Amino acid sequence: MQNESEFEVFVFSVGEQEMAFDVDHVSMVIERPEITPVPKSKSTVLGVMNLRGRIVPVINLAMSLGVEFGKSDDEKVVVVNWEEMEVSFLVNKVKGVMRCNESEVEKLQELAKFGEKCKGIIKKGNELIVYLNIGKILGELITVSEYSAEGVW
Amino acid sequence: MNEQYLSVFVDESKEYIQTLNDSLLKLEKDYQDAEAINETFRALHTLKGMSGTMGFETMSKLCHKMEQLLDKIRSKKIKLDSKMLDQLFIGVDVLDKMIASIVKNGTDHLPDFDVMVFAQNFEVLSSLVEIVEPTKEEREPAEQAEITESVQKVITEAEKEGYSAYQLIITLSEGTQFKAVRMYMVFKAIEEHGGQILSSKPSVEDIEQEKFGRDVELIIVIREDKESLRNMIMSISEIERVTIKDISQKEVQVQTAAKVESEEKKIFEGVKTEASKEKRRLTQTVRVDIDKLDNLMNLMGELVISRSRIGDTLRKYSIKEVDESLSQLNRISLDLQNVVMKIRMVPIAFVFNRFPRMVRDLAKQLGKEINFVVEGEDTELDRTFVEDIGEPLLHMLRNAIDHGIESKEERLAKGKPPIGTVVLSARHEGNNVVIEVRDDGRGIDRSAVLKKAIEKGLVTEAQAETLPDEKVYEFLFMPGFSTKTETTELSGRGVGLDVVKNVVESLNGTVSIESAKNKGTTITMRLPLTLAIIQALLVKVNNFVYAIPIANIDSTLSISKQQIQKIQDRQVSVIRGEIIPIVRLWDILELKHEGDDTIYNTVIVRVGNRKYGLTVDTLIGQEDIVIKSLGKIFSDVRIFSGGAILGDGSIALILDVANIA
Repeated sequence: MQNESEFEVFVFSVGEQEMAFDVDHVSMVIERPEITPVPKSKSTVLGVMNLRGRIVPVINLAMSLGVEFGKSDDEKVVVVNWEEMEVSFLVNKVKGVMRCNESEVEKLQELAKFGEKCKGIIKKGNELIVYLNIGKILGELITVSEYSAEGVW
Repeated sequence: MNEQYLSVFVDESKEYIQTLNDSLLKLEKDYQDAEAINETFRALHTLKGMSGTMGFETMSKLCHKMEQLLDKIRSKKIKLDSKMLDQLFIGVDVLDKMIASIVKNGTDHLPDFDVMVFAQNFEVLSSLVEIVEPTKEEREPAEQAEITESVQKVITEAEKEGYSAYQLIITLSEGTQFKAVRMYMVFKAIEEHGGQILSSKPSVEDIEQEKFGRDVELIIVIREDKESLRNMIMSISEIERVTIKDISQKEVQVQTAAKVESEEKKIFEGVKTEASKEKRRLTQTVRVDIDKLDNLMNLMGELVISRSRIGDTLRKYSIKEVDESLSQLNRISLDLQNVVMKIRMVPIAFVFNRFPRMVRDLAKQLGKEINFVVEGEDTELDRTFVEDIGEPLLHMLRNAIDHGIESKEERLAKGKPPIGTVVLSARHEGNNVVIEVRDDGRGIDRSAVLKKAIEKGLVTEAQAETLPDEKVYEFLFMPGFSTKTETTELSGRGVGLDVVKNVVESLNGTVSIESAKNKGTTITMRLPLTLAIIQALLVKVNNFVYAIPIANIDSTLSISKQQIQKIQDRQVSVIRGEIIPIVRLWDILELKHEGDDTIYNTVIVRVGNRKYGLTVDTLIGQEDIVIKSLGKIFSDVRIFSGGAILGDGSIALILDVANIA
């Protein structure tokens, strides 16, 4: 029986820190592909990649969160679908899907570093996993339409 | 005439001629075969419409005459006889010859046959035999007999609940364009008044597909009385008349359960055969979900990439035998790619077609006379847009007619022609589809807009003075902004232009207004040609490949460092006597440029009537590319209009030369 308070997350690491997305939004994980930089775009965007004929942005998650990006030979790209948008995040390592319980999530106030980009901390024994809010991370990247940004005077 | 349309028209016409022949043959066996009569009628009606749309007037007229005869037969005003059938068969043969002539000579005129004289035969047949139009009373008994027993059962049940049953014969006005819509409105009105439709002749399916003449017969139960029912139906426009007959008082026999069951079974079987017939006729076009097409496109892309990978691998071993099949594979996949692309493109006529009627109605309603001109209907654009731009165009046209064009008296007083002109046009311009709505009306009143803007606190009086016109017009795109003091039923509630702006922006397009007092207003929508194939020049800077649309390119040349001079902080070069600004592409792209060549490969690009040169490292060559949007995340990056996936799977960003310099 599936418990209401149970949910699944997709766990990976950025630098030394383990982090997680809601598994529902993760569509696939691929080896780091060739990334074409897009000049003049936001610094947290690495560029675009060709994902089976689609052009998909690759976001530097470490930079977006303000953490150190570690070095590793097997960097992966996690492809996420969010509100009809397909984007991807560069991560160091992929751990896989993990089942957890609401009771294991702690909403810490002192995580001001990530602000709203973090939904809480998942505690699994000694492990602490940063539970990320994809919407907030992407929200920062999507420029408000030019019209409303400029306003009319 | 559009080739593509023509071939569809010819194919479909041939099918309908086949249908006509089939049904006439059926009629020959049984003059009373109501279904065959209907089928003949429908086929003729469709052919008439199709040929009329395609501009084959003679063919359309012949169909019309034949249809008229069939209509009389169908409504039992004329009895079909062998003489008529002969004429009908000849008529079908003439139609067939016309189609052949259209294919061969592009015209429906037959050199040795006067179709119009021949068409008179049908008129003679229709009028001569038209004895006396049977009076209502005479017709009704026959129709009553068609109330099935199961329907009667429902009527008895309903009567116990206080409902009355009526038989309605609704006749639509001649020339009604949206018959199905009108009938839908009738159905809706009945249902809204608590009524229930028990049966309909022709069937609801046929009505939905507009496969009926002008008459529809309904059997309904409703609580309203006869008069209010009549008022309710007559309030729907384009209904010529309605005959209502109370059938509640009719003696209703109690049915045995078995009988009802068998009756229902019959109905069910009837539906089934109808459906299978439908299937047979609809094979020539298929509606496809756009997602499937997208998927097909993506798979196509993957195929191209794998193909070039295989090519690269095989080249290492230089196997002669494979070369030929490989180049064939290349060709096939390229063709396939083009086909897939074309599937997605449709002529804008799909959207434009519905406007002439709307403009006519609206003008009539407002008591204005308008000359509506449509230009560039053949302009192709991506399918996805077609569905979205209808609404904004509707608003633009309404604005032009309602706000723009003045009343006849006002126009005459201003010394303008009494008939206003509204032009709806579409064209390709570089990477855009440009759609314009232009009127020669009163223009936008700058001071009225500003007054409103000041009222709303959008701008101060001091600012208003110096505000350029385009900024002033921009206010009109704001939600809830309308200059017309009194709103009309149709437009002027200030919800029009902001809808236009929203839709256009969601399609990554722009919209702008130009206006001159008493000269008129032009609203221009520019939409990107996403998913369109364009020709582009691929260039390289720092090992990255970028694409410049050929449409924007004037020429390419190499210039030496010495040829570049500095005039007031700008780098320029004199090329063929013209002073042209030179922009180093790597500076624009903020790339550190390695190597210091003394000769620059330069691409001269053109934006409107402005020209400038872009320096690049290497010119790779010309290629057909598929523009793909970079998505919301890059909406702030103005220098690229999109990206394209190249044959080797790498991505080339497409430079938007209008926003570079």
